[in-house]
Amino acid sequence: MAELTDIQNEDIRYEIEEYLERDEEIERNIELFARVSPGMQDLAAALIEGDNGAVDQMTRDALEKGIEATEIMDDGLIAGMGIVGIKFRENFIFVPEVLACARAMKAGMTHIEPILSASGVKPVGKVIMGTVKGDLHDIGKNLCAMMLRGSGFEVIDLGVDTSPDDFIDAVEEHGANLLGMSALLTTTMPNMAKTVEAFIDADLRDEVQIMVGGAPVTQEFADDMGADGYGKDALACVSLAKELIGAKA
Amino acid sequence: MGDKGMQKIDPLDHQQRLDRITEIFAGMVTHADEQAAYRCPYRDRFDQCTAKFRCTNQAKTAVEGAVKGAVKGAVKGAVKGAVKGAVEGELPGCEHDGRFDYRSAWESDPQSYDRAKAKIEQIHSNASRLRA
Repeated sequence: MAELTDIQNEDIRYEIEEYLERDEEIERNIELFARVSPGMQDLAAALIEGDNGAVDQMTRDALEKGIEATEIMDDGLIAGMGIVGIKFRENFIFVPEVLACARAMKAGMTHIEPILSASGVKPVGKVIMGTVKGDLHDIGKNLCAMMLRGSGFEVIDLGVDTSPDDFIDAVEEHGANLLGMSALLTTTMPNMAKTVEAFIDADLRDEVQIMVGGAPVTQEFADDMGADGYGKDALACVSLAKELIGAKA
Repeated sequence: MGDKGMQKIDPLDHQQRLDRITEIFAGMVTHADEQAAYRCPYRDRFDQCTAKFRCTNQAKTAVEGAVKGAVKGAVKGAVKGAVKGAVEGELPGCEHDGRFDYRSAWESDPQSYDRAKAKIEQIHSNASRLRA
């Protein structure tokens, strides 16, 4: 049975000692990180810190050294994200920190994706995401993007205050088959309908499935706006995205 | 980049990996929803506001924080706001006491829904007219 001292990385030891409270999780993580190489421990620690620059660099360096992409994912990125999940569940960190860690994971995965692609592992689908024009709320959209990426979708996140033209340009540029729009205000929600109309005007409406979400949005509003689907939260967003592109839910 | 071109990933193994990531993220999303009942999701672990928009609970600077706290009629609030503003610099502090359901912030009055519905109808109708 491994001991905490078998883990070389000081930050990982601290994370386990300080933040993990359940015996089975402490044991599981000590066993996991004790068998993980020091380089992957460092990568996991950088991810837990939400340091996307460090995760980016360490992932590139690891691949350069010939470390397997599977090892990087399992022992670095996913192992680190497991600790993040526990810290969040226990309220040691909050949504902004979780999203920073998710961004760090994406930074690492960017270097893994070409290997996945070469191995025949294609993205489930390509999604353009954005909060509509006039709206600066992004937490829900970011959680959706995180869930979609975790489920194997390629996500191009346009951020907040996204104009219909920006959505159209992104769909054309990336050849995306899905578009996800978010609005958190009843005053900005109609801009989803404007975007749908802009896609019709650009003769692109049949090329892309449009899903909408956000606290004030309902199925009725989604229907009114001419969207193809409505997701009430990030979990529903993934199911809907899979359904719209005909993937296995 | 090294011999990464030689690496192969088994699609079935990778699906199991995606399932594990999905399991972790789904737990996070569920917890985020529960947490929204008592804490703003834009508020970080240092009680700073990470939102890109203005909120009445933000205290950007020491002076602003102090004024806001004073306006609220609480000396403790003024001192807290001043200290936060001075120490943190970049991100504004969140001054809220945390006793609110964030999700209800979006539950607007029925009239705003009616206005949104009317606006959507107008957008579609204008677009159809222009196309014709």
